[in-house]
Amino acid sequence: MNKKTIEIITELDIITARKLGRNEAKRIGFDKVDQARITTAIGELAKNIFFYAQTGKIVIEETIREGIKGIAITSIDKGQGIGDVQKVLEGEHSPTSTGAGLPAVKRLVDSINIESEIGKGTIVKIVKWLS
Amino acid sequence: MQQLKKLYKQILSDYICNQNESDLYIGQNLIKQMIQKNVSPEDVISIHKQALEEFYGELPETVIHAYDFLIEVMVHYGLKVKEHQSLLVKQEEMRIEMDIAAQIQNQLLENEVPKTKCTDIGMISVPLRKMNGDYVHFKYDSANYLGVAVTDVVGKGVPAALCMSMVKYGLDTLEYANSNPSYVLEVLNQLIEKSVDDSMFVSLFYARYNLHSNIFTWSSAGHEPSLYYNAAEHTFYDLEAKGLLLGILPEVKYSQQELELKENDFIIIMTDGVTDFRKNEGFDAREKIKELALSFQHLNAQEMCNTIYQELLKLQDFKLYDDFTVVIIKKNKLF
Amino acid sequence: MNVNIQFREDGDLLVGFIEGEIDTYTAPVLREELEVINLSEGLTIELDLSNVNYMDSTGLGVFVAFYKKVVKENAALKLVNLSGRLTRLFEITGLSELMEIEKGGATNASI
Repeated sequence: MNKKTIEIITELDIITARKLGRNEAKRIGFDKVDQARITTAIGELAKNIFFYAQTGKIVIEETIREGIKGIAITSIDKGQGIGDVQKVLEGEHSPTSTGAGLPAVKRLVDSINIESEIGKGTIVKIVKWLS
Repeated sequence: MQQLKKLYKQILSDYICNQNESDLYIGQNLIKQMIQKNVSPEDVISIHKQALEEFYGELPETVIHAYDFLIEVMVHYGLKVKEHQSLLVKQEEMRIEMDIAAQIQNQLLENEVPKTKCTDIGMISVPLRKMNGDYVHFKYDSANYLGVAVTDVVGKGVPAALCMSMVKYGLDTLEYANSNPSYVLEVLNQLIEKSVDDSMFVSLFYARYNLHSNIFTWSSAGHEPSLYYNAAEHTFYDLEAKGLLLGILPEVKYSQQELELKENDFIIIMTDGVTDFRKNEGFDAREKIKELALSFQHLNAQEMCNTIYQELLKLQDFKLYDDFTVVIIKKNKLF
Repeated sequence: MNVNIQFREDGDLLVGFIEGEIDTYTAPVLREELEVINLSEGLTIELDLSNVNYMDSTGLGVFVAFYKKVVKENAALKLVNLSGRLTRLFEITGLSELMEIEKGGATNASI
């Protein structure tokens, strides 16, 4: 399946990631509102990389489960990492560090999975299914 | 969702035909239901757009773009509103916790003003915020000695309150009311110096009153000087004592001084919140307190405290700038 | 309400002119400004308080913490041009015995 990877180095890359994500969402068959949600989620992930981890990448791919299509987005950075993932998702995390936009992202998609190690970096994977 | 979508379209089409106020009202009620069903703002716009497409066929392309734009920004808008709401919820949770903490602090620090035969004691302590950074501690062995500590922790709010609990337990461990004031300060200083960070310290005035000999012995650690009124001489004296604030250096020696209280003499112990008149440059708060105390000396000690507080508050336009504590000890007329 | 500090360096002497009000709200600002000073042995820091028109005990906390840091680094701290009111504050708290404090001259008598 085709997989798109965008390195996030400058602020312009955030726009590129959003654009690729929207096209992919549209191609899979998401309606306008879900396209907007997916794009916003990608934007938040890319912003997290850009502002708090400096560099990293966003991977966008189609996924399928029990015959239902979906879109999976993975953000990988080598930033400072998140100490308490649970707290981040509950929004109890400093709004000025990695993970700031994650509670918002969680509301936009069907599932979110975070793997993080302090000092090593963070991998966030989100999936949204076609309903 | 489908049900709500249908309803929305119906109400919208009614309104487009008649522009009735009642349709607007029904529309608003529908939004309430949508919020309960977790319909997001961007969903509402999407429904609206679909409805228009149904009514009028294909919309002009520019209008479609405009709607797409609106959907896009509303996704973000909805998110931010939710974030804001969750902040408010958290703030409310914290407020409730603060209230509970303040209650606990009040219970912990509650200290009844002792009733003795030959002295009349009054006290008022008003916190600026929920938690008081001032604290008054009495020790009374109901026979010979009365001990009183008036303390002020630098800073306000929660950090001050936590530090204050420590001071209280320090004072509690010094069981006897007959301890020397200088000794009390030395012990507390060590305790505080070990336990708190460099910018945290405590000012404390400690006095011991011998109920038989009427000897009043005091020692001060960086505290606002207390006032002593000598009734026979009709004169106020500052109970000066140069002692360093508690918690700054590990080994500090404090000196103590004493005087004999005679009939109608009184002592006013206060914290710097009482004399700190921020908005009145050049105003001598201590003189004002003397003046007030003199004119109300016929009242009992508690009434004097209350009146001084009220009068000073009036002078500051009823706004406190710091925790405010006054303790007055009056020597009663001899029996 | 605001506080700000301007530094002037002169060999082993660093003079900081503090201006404004030092209270619960502004004290953290002042603390941060003082924290970035690069302390080295033999350095004397002179803080001029002639334009400080208000200070409460939180402000004292900032100076005490800074004083301790200065002593640890074998540098020296001097507070100069204190108004009568500030001088009294340092005297009452016993800090004038500990830290080097100089009252304001005639030009600052009115503050």
